[in-house]
Amino acid sequence: MALLLDNLGFFLSGLEFTIRLALLTLVCAIVVSVLIGLMSVSQWRALRVAALCYVEFWRDIPLLVNLLFIYFGAPLVGVPLKPFTAALLSLTLWGGANGAEIVRGGINAIGQHQFASATALGLKRWEIYRYVVLPQALMPILPPMTGLCTTLVQATSLASLVGVNEFFRIAQIVVERTTMQSGHSPAFLVYGFALMVYFAICSALTWLSRYFEQRLQKTGHSAVAAPRGFKESA
Amino acid sequence: MQSSVTPLIEAQNLVKAFGRIRALDDVSCAISTGERLVVIGPSGSGKSTLIRCLNGLVKPDTGKIAFEGRHIELTSEAHWRRLRQRVGMVFQDYTLFPHLTAIENITLAPVRASLMAKPQAELEARRLLERVQLAEKAASYPAFLSGGQQQRVAIARALAMRPQILLFDEPTSALDPEMIKEVLDLMVSLARDGMTMVVVTHEMGFARAVADRVLFMEAGRIVEAGPPDQIFANQKDVRTREFVRRIA
Repeated sequence: MALLLDNLGFFLSGLEFTIRLALLTLVCAIVVSVLIGLMSVSQWRALRVAALCYVEFWRDIPLLVNLLFIYFGAPLVGVPLKPFTAALLSLTLWGGANGAEIVRGGINAIGQHQFASATALGLKRWEIYRYVVLPQALMPILPPMTGLCTTLVQATSLASLVGVNEFFRIAQIVVERTTMQSGHSPAFLVYGFALMVYFAICSALTWLSRYFEQRLQKTGHSAVAAPRGFKESA
Repeated sequence: MQSSVTPLIEAQNLVKAFGRIRALDDVSCAISTGERLVVIGPSGSGKSTLIRCLNGLVKPDTGKIAFEGRHIELTSEAHWRRLRQRVGMVFQDYTLFPHLTAIENITLAPVRASLMAKPQAELEARRLLERVQLAEKAASYPAFLSGGQQQRVAIARALAMRPQILLFDEPTSALDPEMIKEVLDLMVSLARDGMTMVVVTHEMGFARAVADRVLFMEAGRIVEAGPPDQIFANQKDVRTREFVRRIA
């Protein structure tokens, strides 16, 4: 316990890195997700194909390999990256790909009838997305998007592998140093502490998400179920 | 209703195929201003496809459509969008926007189309809600309205655009029986006020009471067309007679 307090400043500096990386990643990944998600439902085939390629590529490779690939590969194409930037970039690309699928799924969940109804009223395509489809898509998007965000927050710990002194790395250093100095390993204590910190951050995220879900529910954002006896006739 | 005036909408030789199925097989029809046209027929006869061609939700493969005598560029979404402000549509499943209140549902399109400013649109929306006898539900979300109420709001929403013609695609087919009457009554009242309408429906009572002309469709073709008396009592075609008998 004293060990934790002694190193508190150290832990906090790592935490600062983690939170900075996490926040930037979340903002960038969400922007990319929405962009690519909208592209994937575009009326222009070229955009849809581009979005599909992007998503398939970044989704099918493990995040760790992705990170190392970007960090070591970037200098080879003439763009040396600081570890923090490399981590941010790879997490954003990966998170954006997964997030784009969530956005696309949410938009598709809204259904053609809403689109047809809005079209029949003479609304323009972008207006339909802005006023009809996207507000409703928030409901199906929010839970899985929150899951993705908590994964991204936890994935910031991977940045330690390319040299970012974020929170997990700090925990590692404290364990190694204490083991060397005092001969016994405080691994359980320190990693337990790290666990609780990540848990606290991610819990805050899910709590926030649940709050927004409830607010959306109150204003009728949950899709109206198709009426009974509804049948398609030519 | 014979008239030498240009029809409001005229569709000529419409063909629409979905895969190998011909939903519309050389269909032509014209609707005059003030006319009430009812379209009946079995499932798969092409009634919904036809009515959706009239506001561009379905684009025919071949054929011509003219609005007030002017031909429409069928593949031009922009052209259709401008026209849709004059052609209103009410759907079988009402499809109100669930995240907006009744009054917000009604004001969205007119405000976006710059038909009127927001305050004016809200006044108009309230007037329309009174017209459909749902004034007290202005601030309600669709999830808290019954099917019949939602459909009436949907009708008010279509009316807010001040259309020249209203298309109804089986407006009561998804309603519980006790709610059908309130919607039909509203439609009858709109017809009495002179609204031009095309109604796809199974409600024969409504057709007999309101229609100026009835089209009977089967397998993508118009089998017979004429005044309600002819279609329901004095059919010229045996297929028409069989259908009317089946649903009577």
